[in-house]
Amino acid sequence: MKYAIIGDEDTVLGFGMVGVQGRVARDAEQALRAFQGLLEDREVAIIIITERVAEMIRSTVDKYLFTVSFPLIVEIPDRHGPRPGRPTIKEMVNIAIGVRL
Amino acid sequence: MPTTNYAPTKTNLLRLRSDLKFAQQGYELLDQKRNILIIELLSLVDQAADYQERVESALARAYRSLEEAVFDMGRLKVQYLIGAVNISTKIDVRYRKVMGVNLPVVDTEYRDRPPYFSPMGTSFWIDSALDSFKQAIELLGKLSELKISILRLANEVKKTIRKVNALEKIAIPNLTEGLRSIESRLEQSERDMLMLMKIVKENLDAKRTAAMEKRHE
Repeated sequence: MKYAIIGDEDTVLGFGMVGVQGRVARDAEQALRAFQGLLEDREVAIIIITERVAEMIRSTVDKYLFTVSFPLIVEIPDRHGPRPGRPTIKEMVNIAIGVRL
Repeated sequence: MPTTNYAPTKTNLLRLRSDLKFAQQGYELLDQKRNILIIELLSLVDQAADYQERVESALARAYRSLEEAVFDMGRLKVQYLIGAVNISTKIDVRYRKVMGVNLPVVDTEYRDRPPYFSPMGTSFWIDSALDSFKQAIELLGKLSELKISILRLANEVKKTIRKVNALEKIAIPNLTEGLRSIESRLEQSERDMLMLMKIVKENLDAKRTAAMEKRHE
């Protein structure tokens, strides 16, 4: 099984260097199409998606992140750095279970 | 209390007693489950924060190097070079279970056959970009494993907390209440019965002594 990436051109280019096939997404429609395309490929076990692209199709990404066990989805910052105001992992957990850890 | 109007019978009393015992056992088990899940979650959260930091710094380095490489050599040439690099990553996703929750375990395996291209006429930055991306992708497998595990565990903790609360705050008090009301009703009727028996006995005694006295006369 393998990785796949959805992101902007530079990210896809960079990850292409280490043998990760990628799809470039510039708007929500492209992102959704790329995401669905990757879901159909049973060989793709981990979808890497840049935060900015994930933000465009947040509801779809979240649905898969929380409910579907395969493939795994991981968000990374793109070359502009982490999205400001992004919740940290601890905050995410706190929101999810409603208790402070 | 909505569910306390059981018919005050011995059968109901026994049934409620076993229900209450069952609920208490369930509560204890779920409480343990919740604690175990939270401990697991805490250890993962710390690891994940660490990995995230490392991935992000590797990526930041990688993006900067790539940008420099593109400045140096031009986008087209960089693209050609990247096409020549022969690295393939293979991942293997297994699952482990923690308290019935499926958590992924990712193994990244990874083949490369350097040198990828001639060092002549290529920018230094491209090598550094390559290195950083390699690092990032290695860490990413682990990071995704941790993040997904955390999300699933958190979900499970949420569900367990809800169940624990339902048992603790609703089911167990309801059952105890019902039990108590039945017990008191039963005791009451027992006392009534006793009183009745006493009265009957007194009546009988009175009649008997009256009869005896009559015979003696």
